[in-house]
Amino acid sequence: MAAATASGPRGEGGGAATSALTMERIQSLTELTELEAAYSRLCEEEKVVQEELDALLEQQSTIENKMVVLHRMGPNLQLIEGDAQQLAGMITFTCNLAENVSSKVRQLDLAKNRLYQAIQRADDILDLKFCMDGVQTALRNEDYEQAAAHIHRYLSLDKSVIELSRQGKEGGIIDANLKLLQEAEHRLKMIVTEKFDTAMKQGDLPRVERFFKIFPLLGLHEEGLSKFSEYLCKQVANKAEENLQLVMGTDMSDRRAAVIFADTLTLLFEGIARIVETHQPIVETYYGPGRLYALIKHLQVECDRQVEKVVDKFIKERDYHRQFQQVQNSMMRSSSVEKIEPRELDPILTEVTLMNARSELYLRFIKRRIIADFEVGDSMASEEVKQEHQKYLDKLLNNCLLSRTMQELIGYYITMEEYFMRETVNKAVAMDSYEKGQLTSSMVDDVFYIVKKCIGRALSSSSIDCLCAMINHSTTELESDFREVLHNKLKQGFPATTFQDFQRGVTSAVNIMHSSLQQGKFDTKGIESTDEAKQSFLVTLNNVEVCSENIMTLKKTLESDCSKLLSQGFGGEQAQAKIDSCLSDMAAVSNKFRDLLQEGLSELNSTAIKPQVKPWINLFLSVSHNIEEEEFSDYEANDPWVQQFILNLEQQMTEFKAGLSPVIYDTLTGLMTSLIAIELEKVLLKSTFSRLGGLQFDKELRSLIAYLTTVTTWTIRDKFARLSQMATILNLERVTEILDYWGPNSGPLTWRLTPAEVRQVLALRIDFRSEDIKRLRL
Amino acid sequence: MSMEDYDFLFKIVLIGNAGVGKTCLVRRFTQGLFPPGQGATIGVDFMIKTVEINGEKVKLQIWDTAGQERFRSITQSYYRSANALILTYDITCEESFRCLPEWLREIEQYASNKVITVLVGNKIDLADKREVSQQRAAEFSEAQDMYYLETSAKESDNVEKLFLDLACRLISEARQNTLENNVSSPLPGEGKSISYLTCCNFN
Repeated sequence: MAAATASGPRGEGGGAATSALTMERIQSLTELTELEAAYSRLCEEEKVVQEELDALLEQQSTIENKMVVLHRMGPNLQLIEGDAQQLAGMITFTCNLAENVSSKVRQLDLAKNRLYQAIQRADDILDLKFCMDGVQTALRNEDYEQAAAHIHRYLSLDKSVIELSRQGKEGGIIDANLKLLQEAEHRLKMIVTEKFDTAMKQGDLPRVERFFKIFPLLGLHEEGLSKFSEYLCKQVANKAEENLQLVMGTDMSDRRAAVIFADTLTLLFEGIARIVETHQPIVETYYGPGRLYALIKHLQVECDRQVEKVVDKFIKERDYHRQFQQVQNSMMRSSSVEKIEPRELDPILTEVTLMNARSELYLRFIKRRIIADFEVGDSMASEEVKQEHQKYLDKLLNNCLLSRTMQELIGYYITMEEYFMRETVNKAVAMDSYEKGQLTSSMVDDVFYIVKKCIGRALSSSSIDCLCAMINHSTTELESDFREVLHNKLKQGFPATTFQDFQRGVTSAVNIMHSSLQQGKFDTKGIESTDEAKQSFLVTLNNVEVCSENIMTLKKTLESDCSKLLSQGFGGEQAQAKIDSCLSDMAAVSNKFRDLLQEGLSELNSTAIKPQVKPWINLFLSVSHNIEEEEFSDYEANDPWVQQFILNLEQQMTEFKAGLSPVIYDTLTGLMTSLIAIELEKVLLKSTFSRLGGLQFDKELRSLIAYLTTVTTWTIRDKFARLSQMATILNLERVTEILDYWGPNSGPLTWRLTPAEVRQVLALRIDFRSEDIKRLRL
Repeated sequence: MSMEDYDFLFKIVLIGNAGVGKTCLVRRFTQGLFPPGQGATIGVDFMIKTVEINGEKVKLQIWDTAGQERFRSITQSYYRSANALILTYDITCEESFRCLPEWLREIEQYASNKVITVLVGNKIDLADKREVSQQRAAEFSEAQDMYYLETSAKESDNVEKLFLDLACRLISEARQNTLENNVSSPLPGEGKSISYLTCCNFN
């Protein structure tokens, strides 16, 4: 068909229609050439048409084949259409069928549910009836557990079911039953409460526990716990009363008399802890987890009441407040009031810390218990509920009267302990004594014993804040007061040297003689006290050093003690940080003592050593080093200076060596060595030398260094490096020989002298010409 | 203890009557929190915050003390080692202001004489309940030679400024003591904490 339409227009119009040349135009042609041209064009056109026709003819067979195939398909399509219609019919049918079936199932389901509900309700009604009957019988038989179980069943029934049942045909009966049940419930509650109260009055624990277990069945959890707590509180109160009576009757000679109030508190806490321990399982079993808090909260009220009584008695009996007042007045330094003897405070301070330690232990116990119970009870609870519970707990622990009372007692304690420490330290200082042969005096050991004791006592209270406060006070005491004592002793200085002493001794002896002659007696105190003052200065230096070390030891000891306390779970989250900070302040005081030691040593060096050493060194100037062979050998036989110098030094240092600790002595010799080096250099530069004089000096210096090396533990070569180099220069054969040691030839030697100094030393040799020295290229 | 993690360490102790907001000031500064319904502090609390001032790390050790009377002997023991004291009162509570002389006596008795004291009137967010006028407090602080600042821990007003300016002052003080006058001391207001930039000057 497509071929037909395509060829249509061409067939209609014929060759002339499509030809570019119309018949009219051909007929109008006259010229031969034009005719020929027209002819050839027509021939071309004919050829094209012929080709097109051929192509169309070729397609004909293909088209025919396709037509045949189409014809064959016709019947098949009809078949398919029939099948499809049939299928649609079947589906519709099945669908209807399914619809039918499922609706029936749904109906069945509904029926079944209703049936169940009906059974449930029937059951409930039966239960109700059963409960009603059961309750009556149980009540008649005084089987309260059974009765409560029935009521519990009734209470757990679906209220709407009961409501529905009442609207039913048998509503009347059910109504009546319900009324009876409610009456029974009411009666049972009354009976249980009544019986519980009676049992409580009689102190009949088995019956108390029996009825305690019934409360939760009646939905009376809170009431049950509060009633039970009431019973427990009464027991606590009775026991506490008894204990307090015992306290009042305690003989003062009793072994525990000094801590009797702490013991009474301990008994109270132990009693409560035992109660919690014994009754927690019942509460947990019959009331469920998470209820311990309520129980303990009730108990805590009684605990507070009893604590108040004990503490009131304690305050009255031990005169706690008056003693505190007196201490406070003494601290104000209004010296008019009579100072309280610190020793008298000792027992009461120990007792208070013990009381607090017991309280902390108890509070930690109930805290742990409540947390554990909440954890079980709140295992499914939201985060908010958990936080809420944590808040309750914190409030209970922080706001209970027990905590507040103990905080108050500890507040007073700290002030009194501080006073105790300060006064006792003052006493130790006042009674300071020194035994011959000892390096330190008694007060250092005493003071540290006291400080350790006071901090140790604060630590034994188990209160971190109390401990930190006492560490702070100790730091203050050591840093200000005690350090001041030592500082003042050092400020008195080391008395003048023996040489000056001798002079002064003579004049003072003359004076003393004068005065004593007038008074008719002779007093040697002036001379003796100089020795004492010397001793005192050296002992104080030792004291200062030991203090510095003791503080570090104390810090270390406290660190390990504190970590023990913390590992037992005392103190809050910041406890460690607080203690660390307070202890590091204490450690800083150790350095202040070190500074003081340095101060004292340089004082000793400048007042005792320098005034003596300097004249000895100055004697060097009176020994000529501009010498010839004869004098040189004479010097060899009779040493003019250095042997005596060494002897003097040795004599002087024996005193210090005996009186100072090895470490301090070592530092002191170090200072002395530096001093000698500096002073010797000064006199050296004022002297003149011959070749042999240089050699003499070299010998002298070697002897000196050899001696000093034996008395110090550290190397002194460094301190004498400049002097040794000067000796080398003074020993040169000629000026230019220096170049063998200088600059590139210095080898391992590091010159400590500047070129100018080298020239200066060279110039000390009288036999060196100044032009030669000037000409040197250094 | 290594000295590498800071250039300066200062101890700051907050004191003042119970309930004036000491803990809230510290919490606001150290944690950026304002916890409502804060319970009374027991004994002392301890917080650390490191701030940067002119490129120098300054570690502030802040001791938050309980205001209640029964903790007084504990808190007093911290005065002596304190570099600075923040004496706090509540601008809506006349009583807390009237107690200031008593606090000053305590400072006189226990603190080192080199301590810097700042007077802080807290709770300015409760302006309509104000009982202590700014002028009165300013006069008082001037007479006592103290720095003075009003804050709100709740609205975070002046809290950063309080601590950072104090740190600046402590640094210059420390420099003067070590005679390092050649190093220029930071001026107050140059302190920067991680999240805030303060610009302020002292009255």
